Amino acid sequence: MERERSEVNDIDRSLYDFRYEEKDEDFYKVKEGLTPDIVREISKEKHDPAWMLDFRLKSLEIYNELKVPDWGPDISGLNMDDIVTYVKPKTKMQATWEDVPDDIKNTFERLGIPEAERTSLAGVGAQYDSELVYHNVKEEVLAQGVIYTDMESALTGEYEQMVKDHFMKLVPPTDHKFAALHGAVWSGGSFVYVPPGVKVEIPLQSYFRLNAAGAGQFEHTLIIVSEGADLHFIEGCSAPKYNVANLHAGCVELFVGKNARLRYSTIENWSKNMYNLNTKRSICEDGATMEWVSGSFGSHVSYLYPMTILKGNDSHCEFTGITFAGAGQNLDTGTKIMQTGERTSSFVNTKSISKSGGISTFRSAVTVGERAKDAKVSISCASLMLDDISRSDTIPAMDIRTNEADVGHEAKIGRISDDAVFYLMSRGISEEDAKAMIVSGFADNVSKELPLEYAVEMNNLIQLEMKGAIG
Amino acid sequence: MMRVNRLDSPTWNALKINDAVIADDITLNASGKAIVEKIPAGVIIGNESCKDCGGCDLKDAVDIKSIKCGMGEEADAFFTEASKDVLMVHARKGREVSEPVNIRYLMENGDYNADRVEILAEEGSSITVIMDYTSSRLDAKGFFGVQTKVRVDAGATVHLVKVNLLGSDFLCLDDIGVTVADSGYFNLTQMCLGGGRNYIGTAVSLDGYKASYNGDMGYLCLNGQSLDMNYHIAHHGRKSGSELQVKGALRDKARKNFRGTIDLIKGAKGASGNELEDVLLLSDGVANKTLPVILCDEEDVEGTHGASIGRLSADMLYYMQTRGFTKQEAELLSTKAKLNSVRNLIKDEHTHGRIQYFMEEAFK
Repeated sequence: MERERSEVNDIDRSLYDFRYEEKDEDFYKVKEGLTPDIVREISKEKHDPAWMLDFRLKSLEIYNELKVPDWGPDISGLNMDDIVTYVKPKTKMQATWEDVPDDIKNTFERLGIPEAERTSLAGVGAQYDSELVYHNVKEEVLAQGVIYTDMESALTGEYEQMVKDHFMKLVPPTDHKFAALHGAVWSGGSFVYVPPGVKVEIPLQSYFRLNAAGAGQFEHTLIIVSEGADLHFIEGCSAPKYNVANLHAGCVELFVGKNARLRYSTIENWSKNMYNLNTKRSICEDGATMEWVSGSFGSHVSYLYPMTILKGNDSHCEFTGITFAGAGQNLDTGTKIMQTGERTSSFVNTKSISKSGGISTFRSAVTVGERAKDAKVSISCASLMLDDISRSDTIPAMDIRTNEADVGHEAKIGRISDDAVFYLMSRGISEEDAKAMIVSGFADNVSKELPLEYAVEMNNLIQLEMKGAIG
Repeated sequence: MMRVNRLDSPTWNALKINDAVIADDITLNASGKAIVEKIPAGVIIGNESCKDCGGCDLKDAVDIKSIKCGMGEEADAFFTEASKDVLMVHARKGREVSEPVNIRYLMENGDYNADRVEILAEEGSSITVIMDYTSSRLDAKGFFGVQTKVRVDAGATVHLVKVNLLGSDFLCLDDIGVTVADSGYFNLTQMCLGGGRNYIGTAVSLDGYKASYNGDMGYLCLNGQSLDMNYHIAHHGRKSGSELQVKGALRDKARKNFRGTIDLIKGAKGASGNELEDVLLLSDGVANKTLPVILCDEEDVEGTHGASIGRLSADMLYYMQTRGFTKQEAELLSTKAKLNSVRNLIKDEHTHGRIQYFMEEAFK
């Protein structure tokens, strides 16, 4: 009898690895490397106000002073002298899809972005290399007073003061070397403001595509959700694969007002030549709720730890994450939570899968301050090894400074349980199907939180092809 | 300055948990006493010079100096320099020693000393070694350091007990390194109640097939006491197993760091490592840092970690209060219960008595 074999395959990347050859005449680029002149050139090109140029140059100084992290995956293959920090398509940002240049439009259409916008999104921003090429918001959302625009428009328009008050206040350039780099060369990204009491019923989405070889993408996302407001924001990222290193050092700053709620979902599927050194941080006021849903599938190396500061009393955060590390990938992901308000609570649930020599590390830091009375923390992380050439580590740190706290943590690393397979087989399920079912179930409670219904692309990311023997 | 308890898998430097720094200039004065209280039949006690003279069986003892300890290289160099002689405890092949070997260190106010101990359990032997460090004054000041290297041969069992009852102004370094061969079993019971600043490093290398380790640690940190721990359990052997339970309480301005690494190394098929930490925080102003690490380089293994940190659970407190206990009494009772669960693993009445006395005095 012919037996079907099952296996957990890598994510099918063919959808993302297509690329259009970029012609130099269609793009404006700065030189490779990082110098004050390049920073000035970017600033001039973006029509920055004077304070932003000063900020960029100061950030560059900080970048040159700070050291590369000595505790995470090796990033010695990343040479900033080879990275082009600004690549701008020679097209203006368009508000109608038909006006976007064909090559770029075709790229996003293959990724399913316009389809998703038509069916289930309140607004979309699409960034190609360093700048947004398309931005649109539904009329009914605009009518609610929601502002959703690109960062450059916000910075040079009527929201300049709001940007100035918040820009890199949560993630200062001194935070780490790549935050400083971001401060120096950032471009693109989205600005969102949700007025008090406004509930945006359907999500907004930004999609980031890095198409140029040897380039960096440094988008800045700034979201302000006012008191009592509610927003779901989705971020998607992808790039075709090149033989040279690409760099993503974006920055996300989220301000969640009193009794507001923000869900921030990310599906990250950068190509496997990408160094993903991204920084995300949120701060919650009294009674606010921050929800992170994070799927990490791509990149050669990732350092990604969305952070939440529960400053307000009764504020709450949830972090749900899944990481899939395959051949050639070293994905160091996790979260940081700082609880300083009273009666704050946090819940972390992560899953990671390693296969084909991939390295997956869950890293976290939970800090409960002296004034965080009645704080509650629950952390659960599970890792599944699918073969004996992969690696999986968990490095969760907890720093508790008050006696009036309840902190629980559990971690588990292992392979597919023989007992579970035996149980399922005793119910008439074949061994192969049983194993496939277990892997699917392992990821299910995290993957079901992913907003798959909102974008066609995300469906493709979580496909685990389950035919045959595992491991 | 000495950098100790360094993690093999460091994390964010800002957390200040990747290692510990001892800035003290430690000048030893060779004071204090080491007393070997009992030498049961089947055990040989000696020192390095004794080994070299060739007059007894210790000459056959294989050098175990290459065993790595938990506090790291700088501490290793310190102990090598500080203590020229080594106290050797040797259980001969196949001998099951029922009585424990008691090694007592009496460290009084002003004593600054360090020692090295090597324990060798030959194939099929079994031995219990109890090491306690005691000051007669609760507020005694001084320094005590001890490095203990243990080799557990195939099928052998070593139960090592360490009890710290030093004065509250003592700086104490307790550095342990262990290797365990096929089907060997190393059982480590530790109680850290005394001392002012305590550093404990424990490295266990489970080299053999079905080599196993069980660790139980109970601690109490009051007032300005601090405790810095680093455990590294390396699973090399197939079907090797480890269990580590760490429990204790912090009160006043006490500080505690716990690093526990289960390292499941490629080739350790069928290995299993579990660690559990239970910390009771009794007052504001305490600082508890916990970093439980699992490193996994092998598919056919299981590693788990669990931690519970905080106050007495609401259910437990309610239950106790319905029985007439105040919150403070309930917390005290719970703390004693945690520590007694570790103390009860020590099968020696005299040591029990000393621990009991110390705990009663500490809680006054």
